[in-house]
Parts: sequence; structure tokens; C-alpha cells
Amino acid sequence: MRRLLLTTALLGFLVGGSALAGPPTQAPPQVAVAHSLESFRAALQSGGPGKDGIPSIDRPRFLSADQARLSDDEIVIGLYRQGEARAYPQRILVWHEIVNDELGGEALSITYCPLTGTALGFKRGATQLGVSGKLVNSNLVMYDRATDSEWPQILGVAIDGPLVGQGLEEVRLIWTTWGQWRARYPETRVLSEQTGYVRNYRRDPYGSYVPLGGYYLPESRRLFPVLNRDDRFPPKTMIFGVRTVQGALAVDRRALREERVIETRLGEESLVLIHDPGLDTAWAFRNPRGLSLDADALNFTPEGVRGPGIEALEPLHGFEAMWFAWAAFYPDTSLYPEQTP
Amino acid sequence: MSVFRNRLMARPAALLALAIMAMSYALAYLWLTGDLAGGGWGGWEASFPAWERLFERRGFLQFEPVGRIMLGSLVWTFSPLNTLVALAMGGLLGLNLLAAWWVWRSPRVCGVGGSAGGILAAIPALLVGGACCAPLVLIWLGLPIAGAVVGLTPLLIPLALVLMLAGLWVMSRRLDASG
Repeated sequence: MRRLLLTTALLGFLVGGSALAGPPTQAPPQVAVAHSLESFRAALQSGGPGKDGIPSIDRPRFLSADQARLSDDEIVIGLYRQGEARAYPQRILVWHEIVNDELGGEALSITYCPLTGTALGFKRGATQLGVSGKLVNSNLVMYDRATDSEWPQILGVAIDGPLVGQGLEEVRLIWTTWGQWRARYPETRVLSEQTGYVRNYRRDPYGSYVPLGGYYLPESRRLFPVLNRDDRFPPKTMIFGVRTVQGALAVDRRALREERVIETRLGEESLVLIHDPGLDTAWAFRNPRGLSLDADALNFTPEGVRGPGIEALEPLHGFEAMWFAWAAFYPDTSLYPEQTP
Repeated sequence: MSVFRNRLMARPAALLALAIMAMSYALAYLWLTGDLAGGGWGGWEASFPAWERLFERRGFLQFEPVGRIMLGSLVWTFSPLNTLVALAMGGLLGLNLLAAWWVWRSPRVCGVGGSAGGILAAIPALLVGGACCAPLVLIWLGLPIAGAVVGLTPLLIPLALVLMLAGLWVMSRRLDASG
């Protein structure tokens, strides 16, 4: 009888424990946290809609590339993992901000913040991420449905709740156009407009990427207050950013396109960034041996960049972001090319 | 409040004016809150795939659309409850305007009819009636102040409703007094 009770108690604990299991985390986080968590919490503000007022897509459906009615210049957020490619049209994500998806048996959240122009993927484990309705530095604050911890998307670290101070595990997403994505991944699947919600997916409430207009214009003003302002670029200029525990680096995308391979430093570490002309994005690496790469010898495959020297590099997560948001999260960010504040 | 019903029944033109004002306000409200927008691709189309979301809330007095109605370049993501809120707000605002007009035009009795006092009762209601969409207008215009006031939106709609009802009550007393 006693054994039965003990077993029941243990099972109850395990079941209860798993019901509260948050997303997989890294403690300490593998990214820079430039402001104190208290100051992030103090800077939280309502974005307008309440919790889940912007509903995440929790049962995504997909179409084949041929079935998807997208124009070549439309922005999509691409994910390639374990041999499978998926494209999430920006004009659907702008209404939902989070897709709780599964790819190759791995549970992932595809997240997009229209106000900061950032798309980041996160491992979500057995739980889902949702839109809290709050913003910090104009950036989407997500919450996980297991522990209700709050995670600013760019930071990727919980600023409140039981998982405070822990970092999410990130997954690379690609900000590109449908034409470029389809050329690289012809077998890609595409997120369908059958999301379970009724939205006007032909209209972006903030502006337009094709042609560039409204909130997305580089010189247009931000809507919400930020912890740090930096006017070295117009606010909505898209930069490519990487961050490590040592700090953050923002790369001017024009320099990236022109130079093709950028060798630079962040703190004590050597980094290399390689422009991918097929997707117009960058691949970032740690370069512990300080190798020099020959841009002409590199080629770009569905798996990423390949070529002499690449095997000796350590991949580093990076993503495109609006400059004002990057500078708000990382006031001491390095810039490439260097510019004085 | 029976004074309004009697006057509306006796004056079909007033009823028509009220309907036009309510509809105009409702359309503006639905446009500013995003239920009504561009993005259509010609022709017309209607589908109602999400009736199960009829009572699902997106925010304070904001509900999930249940269907999509497209007419030409217009797309209406249709929520019956949002439409009811918009029409109710529009009806109250229209009635406030009509009441203010009647108070202004009514004969002076006991020093109240025709005075500015009656019309003044409508002013806060009218201001807040319009202000409920102000944060949305600011966001639409891209003004940084929008971020600071967007949190007030949920308060402005109930405030508008209370003030518009209070304005009507004050003006109904004036109209009763003036016969």
C-alpha cells in the first residue's frame, strides 16, 4: 500500500512537473544582456492588444510551392532544418507574430515582430509561445504557456516569471524574398492562409515592404519609447546583427553586399560574416583560428555556405533587425564599418 | 429618455439623420480599428468560416472576426459584436448631436432652453466619442506619442459610453423642461 502511494505521488510529481515544463533554456544565456532585467521590466508597456489579442498560429497548415500564390518580391521568413524547408509569408506573420510549428519531430516557435523587423526561431519543447501584448524597446514580448515567463524576442532571455534570467535556444530563420527562397529550396512548403482565424492577409496594418512604405521606411519614426537612442543610422534601417556573451555587432548590409566576406572582432573573438547573394542575408561564424576566406571559392547550398575553411568555423546566430531596436537592446554595440556615436 | 423616442417618432427626418450619423460613425470606427480595410482584388466574395470565434475577445470590446466580406477593393473582416459596438457608439453619438440641436432650437423656458448649458452637456460626450479612436489615428499617422496613449484605448470606449449617456440624460431633462 505504501509503495502504491509512493508510486502515485511520484507519478503525480512527474506529470505535474512535465505540465509545467517550460521551453528548453540555457543558463546562463549565450547572448549579451546589456540592461538589467529590472530595467527591462520597468520599461514594459502595453502594445494595445491584450494577452493573445494577437493570436499565435498553433495548428499551421502548409501548401506546396506551386499552390502558394505569392509574388517573387514578397518577403518570406524561411526555415531550413533537417532537410526540410518552410516559408512563412511576412504578410501572414504580421497578423500573428508567432507560429508554433513542428519540423522533423522538433517543436519550434517561428516568431516575427513587425515593429522591429526581427524574425527569430526558438526551440519550444512541450510548450508553446504566445504574444503577451506587451512590448519592450518596441519589441514583441512573448510568454511561454507552461510557466508564463516573459521573453522579449530580440533579447531571447526571460525578464520575468519562473525562468527569469534564462535564455531560449535559438534557431536560424532567413529574412528573404519568395523568389530567392524558392530558387534555393524548390521543394519548400509554404504557410497557408488557413490559419483558423479570419484576417485581411492582403493588407499589412503597419505599411508595406513592396514597395517600401509606411512604418517600414528607414526614416519613419518609431512608435514606442526605447531604453537607448542612437542616431547613427535612420531608425528603421535594416542591419544584420550578431550577439555573443561578449557583446553585440551590427553590420551595415550595404557593406556586407559589397565586401562579401567581412572579418572583424567582437570583444576577444574573431568573427567572419559571409554575404549569401542568393538569399541576400549573411552567415556568421566565430573564427577561432583567424582564417582568411576567399569569397570566390565559396558556394551557397541548401545547407548554407560551403567552401575551403568553412569547416574550421563555428556557426553563430544572426538576424536582420531595424537599427533603432538593435541599438535600444545593445547600447554598446559595435558597428561594421566602424562609426563613432 | 422618452422625450427622444417621441421626437424621433414625430420627425422622420431626425430618424434618418440619426441613422446616417450612426452608420457614418460605425464605418469610421470599423475602418480605424482595422475591421474594414483595403486589400480586395475586385469582384465580391463572402465566407464565414469562424463562427466558433463569435465571442472570442482580441481586446477590450474587440472581438474576433467570424467571416470575410470582400467588395471591390474593400475587405471587411466581419465580427457581429464589433459591428454592434460600432453601431451603438454611432447611435449614441448621433443622438447626442440631435439632442444638442434640439436643446439649441428649443424655446427658452425657465432660463434653460436654448442656453449654452444644454449643449455644453453634449461636448464632453462628443469629444470622448471621437477620442476613443484617437490612439488608433495616431498610430495610423505614425506619431511617437501613440505608444504612450495606446494603453488608454480600453478606458476611452467605456468612458465615451458613460459620458454620452450622461449627456443624453442632462439634455433630456432640459428638453422635458422646455416641453
